[in-house]
Amino acid sequence: MKKKKLGWLSAILFSGALILGACSDDSSGDEGTDSTSSGDDTIQVWTMSADFDKFVAEFEDESGINVEVQTIPWGNVHDKLLTAVASGKGPDVIQIGTTWVAEFAEAGTFLDLTDHIADYPNLNPDNFFDAAVESTQYNGQTVGIPWYVDTRLLFYRTDLLAEAGYPEGPETWDDFLDAATQLTARGDDQYGVDISQGDPQFPFMLAWERGFKYDEAKGSANFEDPAFVDAVKLHNQFFKDDLAQLTEGKELYQAFSDGSKPMFFSGPWEINSINTQIPELEGKWDVHVMPKAENNNSMIGGSHLGIFHNSDNVEGSLKFIDWMADPETQIKWFENIKELPANTTAWENPVLADDPMIATFGEQLESTQAVPVIPEFEKLAQELIKTLEQINHGGADIDASLADFRSEAARILGE
Amino acid sequence: MDKFKQNIAPYLFIAPAIIVLLLFAILPILIAFGISFTDMNLLGLADWANINFIGFDNFARLFQDKAFIQAIGNTFYYVIIGVPLAVLASFLVALALSYVSNWLSSVFRVVFYMPSITNIVAIAVVWGFLYNKEYGLFNYMLSLINVDAISWLDNPAIAKLSLIMLAVWKSTGVSMLIFLAALQSIPKSYYEAADIDGANGWQKLINITLPSMSFATFFVIVTTLIGWLQFFEEPFVMTEGGPLGSTTSMALFIYQEGFQYSEFGYGAAASFVLFIIIILVTVLQFKLRKSEDKS
Repeated sequence: MKKKKLGWLSAILFSGALILGACSDDSSGDEGTDSTSSGDDTIQVWTMSADFDKFVAEFEDESGINVEVQTIPWGNVHDKLLTAVASGKGPDVIQIGTTWVAEFAEAGTFLDLTDHIADYPNLNPDNFFDAAVESTQYNGQTVGIPWYVDTRLLFYRTDLLAEAGYPEGPETWDDFLDAATQLTARGDDQYGVDISQGDPQFPFMLAWERGFKYDEAKGSANFEDPAFVDAVKLHNQFFKDDLAQLTEGKELYQAFSDGSKPMFFSGPWEINSINTQIPELEGKWDVHVMPKAENNNSMIGGSHLGIFHNSDNVEGSLKFIDWMADPETQIKWFENIKELPANTTAWENPVLADDPMIATFGEQLESTQAVPVIPEFEKLAQELIKTLEQINHGGADIDASLADFRSEAARILGE
Repeated sequence: MDKFKQNIAPYLFIAPAIIVLLLFAILPILIAFGISFTDMNLLGLADWANINFIGFDNFARLFQDKAFIQAIGNTFYYVIIGVPLAVLASFLVALALSYVSNWLSSVFRVVFYMPSITNIVAIAVVWGFLYNKEYGLFNYMLSLINVDAISWLDNPAIAKLSLIMLAVWKSTGVSMLIFLAALQSIPKSYYEAADIDGANGWQKLINITLPSMSFATFFVIVTTLIGWLQFFEEPFVMTEGGPLGSTTSMALFIYQEGFQYSEFGYGAAASFVLFIIIILVTVLQFKLRKSEDKS
């Protein structure tokens, strides 16, 4: 009887110990996420790009460095990076979207690469688009090396725009509005353009084209600029005049294909998607640089590769980034999923230079502006989306809503 | 010595549960309580020296934040409409299942339980299509009887109801099982006695079934209420709180502030407000039940 009791007791104690053991920090258990456990010849890479592990096989063969790739969807990567920052346990190399550079650089997520650039010829800032390099700089530090760039331009149905009198696509915003108005007048459920309402960069693009420039010293007063106010008014006009559909509506490709939404603004990946998902549309659509107001600036975004601050394989990581920045690798990556090389030499390759649509993207990249590199940008952007929603969806007064937005911006910027 | 062993034995038995509870429930709550008085954000996360104690500032700001007030309003809207619907629906389903033959009951138990164990993302995709304004099934069925298309998720007033409908459908299974178990534990002799007295079906339901199930009903109401106060998944996957913040629940607000904007202090303060509301509502329910029992 007594023995039995003891047996139970020890069983309970044992299970208790197991539970406690599971909570304690032992790095032997989770090699997958702990950078300290990887040896000299292994680097861990976090990326948001699909099929990346196949792509890096060539590098692994060449260098003998084993690359462990973890693919994280864009929607989850912000949370994932937060956890990495909080726990101090991250990978060696991280893909980082340009708009998050400031936010995470401020928290000391990245290793400063300034002193290493000279050792690797491919990392030289002169190799890349200026605007891309600018967004790798934070407080005098180089927190990443540009990988691919991204910009937005106009996708349009050539046949339908020809009917509206713009076979080559609208040159100016006046042309654009004229075309959109005509196309909307075709009847019920017909629109001129599709506007993605969750995209915070689009209203900024409209503002830049009207001469807006964000000046960090001015803070929330930036948003008093008439160019910015005009951009918000134009954004509202799309919905007020029914040029764009306010509600969710039809899936975009279906609407583009049946002609009910013959124009939209998007990035280079869309070329492949349209070709594979609606191949029957071939020859009936094209891309055009952004319509012009004062200028036709689009955004420049994309991704950099940075090194996590406590990586224990900095050399291997640098070698990897050096390989990724090589023009040849960049062209292969472009062929893989049509993401645009950040390396300007890669653009001279016929694969890019001879493709008229890609060349249009190249042309657009000449006139781009980047969103302000400030840690508060993500919050400002969300607040702007909310404000636009109140104006477009809720019918709020533009001036009053913008005044609210400015005071909220002042609070976010800590003024 | 033996006496000591005997005294300590029960504590050892509950020790694993207590340890887990302390580590993963009580401790985080205490830490969150501490964080709610600070301005902790991403910077503070990276380096603790950047965290400042700011007293009740977060709480003061919360109650001036229109978005938070709206989230409280939305949450109560969900609770007031959703809880009675969810409890009633699961009770009716359980009752109906108890009347039908055995195999039919088993089949439909699975059918009604299925939504509870289905992944919320899969549900979001399917219901997203059902609710789609242009080619959703619901609007198609409405068009058959010549009713205009409804913007299920784009209209602030309707979106809330759409989410409630989805949540009721999703949550019916669990409460249904509890009701079924309670129904089956009612002694048959009560009904036999009632039959002898000549009671009809309705009288049996009101005078035997319902009173015998009062504890199960109480349990289901308490857990459902807490669940609905923490309403999160449905707006998170279906609407992200829009349009115009009309579907943002308190839990979603906490998530957005804490993890989307990295304002951990502010988010923690909001979570404490929710915590207090839940405690108050639950205590109130226990008080009401006690006074009911006495009378």
